[in-house]
Amino acid sequence: MTLDTSVLFQIAGIGIIVAMIHTILKQMGKEEYAQFVSLIGFIIVLLFVLDSISDLFQQIRSVFFLQG
Amino acid sequence: MELFEVISIGVIASVLFLLIKDKQPTIAFLVVLFTVIYFFLFIMQYVQEILRLIAYLGERANINSVYIKTILQIIGISYITEIGANIVRDAGLKSVAVKIEMVGKVFILILAIPIFQSLIETIINIFPIT
Amino acid sequence: MIKLLASLFIIGASVLLGNEYANNLVNRPRYIRFFKNALQILEAEIVYSQETIKESLHAVSNQIPEPLATLFQHIADDIQHDQDELYPIWEKHIHVFYRSNPIQVDDKEILLQFGRTLGQHDVIQQQKYIRLAINHLERTLKEADDKHHRYGKMARSVGVLIGIFIVLLLL
Repeated sequence: MTLDTSVLFQIAGIGIIVAMIHTILKQMGKEEYAQFVSLIGFIIVLLFVLDSISDLFQQIRSVFFLQG
Repeated sequence: MELFEVISIGVIASVLFLLIKDKQPTIAFLVVLFTVIYFFLFIMQYVQEILRLIAYLGERANINSVYIKTILQIIGISYITEIGANIVRDAGLKSVAVKIEMVGKVFILILAIPIFQSLIETIINIFPIT
Repeated sequence: MIKLLASLFIIGASVLLGNEYANNLVNRPRYIRFFKNALQILEAEIVYSQETIKESLHAVSNQIPEPLATLFQHIADDIQHDQDELYPIWEKHIHVFYRSNPIQVDDKEILLQFGRTLGQHDVIQQQKYIRLAINHLERTLKEADDKHHRYGKMARSVGVLIGIFIVLLLL
């Protein structure tokens, strides 16, 4: 079982894009939208990470007989 | 060799972390979190092999399977608390990490109670107290 | 291969959207300026040539550049068919124009307001109303110019970035 490394790059790419949108919106004086965009980006990336965390915990449970 | 894979992923992750640290610290933290999880998931498959070996040896040596299972569970709990504490510590919350470790220790004690109990009973059986 | 193609399509679509928005921002001041010119010509026609509204509108449509020329042409033509009030005709055509051109609600409201007064008063009053409408247009023109300068470039780059963002999400 090998994990997909591309998720790492995906997360970093989303981070960079969100940062750029944030900067542009902030420059144009739309602070509230900028905050909103970075929040959305954070939530999306968090979803990715949560997925892999649940994978990990599931695996640990099955390996160490920790069911229940 | 898979070791090189791990090392290169670590290097790449640190570069990506540096890249977005200034702009989006939260997402940079998530990058770190993801790499940590990746490493633990990676290591888990080898741990599984080792545990299978231990279980096999215990079976061959006719040890009561409850004991083997308990020991493995204790190892598992220590792994999980280690992972959780590491993740929290990466976020800079040292005090929370310490508490997670403490909870892990208490749970290990709880798991060890049956073994301890049977040990005491065996001793009492050997030296009957009148 | 198909993935790459789809990604390119998504990015292209969002780039087009951003460009469209930016073009709207660029074109709005231009159209408001055209309307201002048109009203000035109309004023001259009404006050100095003392012609009927239909003839004045025809004269206006001959002197200004395209999309507005057809608008005034249509209004003038409709007056011929229909001898009722001017305002419903004016309103109808302005609505049609508003839907397919980059003017905003504010500009439309000013034009409608002006249309309500057109043909209701004597020459002096009419001139005052035209001046008023021109003043209002001046105000929205300033605002539109401001918006264009501030958000013109931003719209394009945000379009590109959002395209890349969506592609990254779906990867």
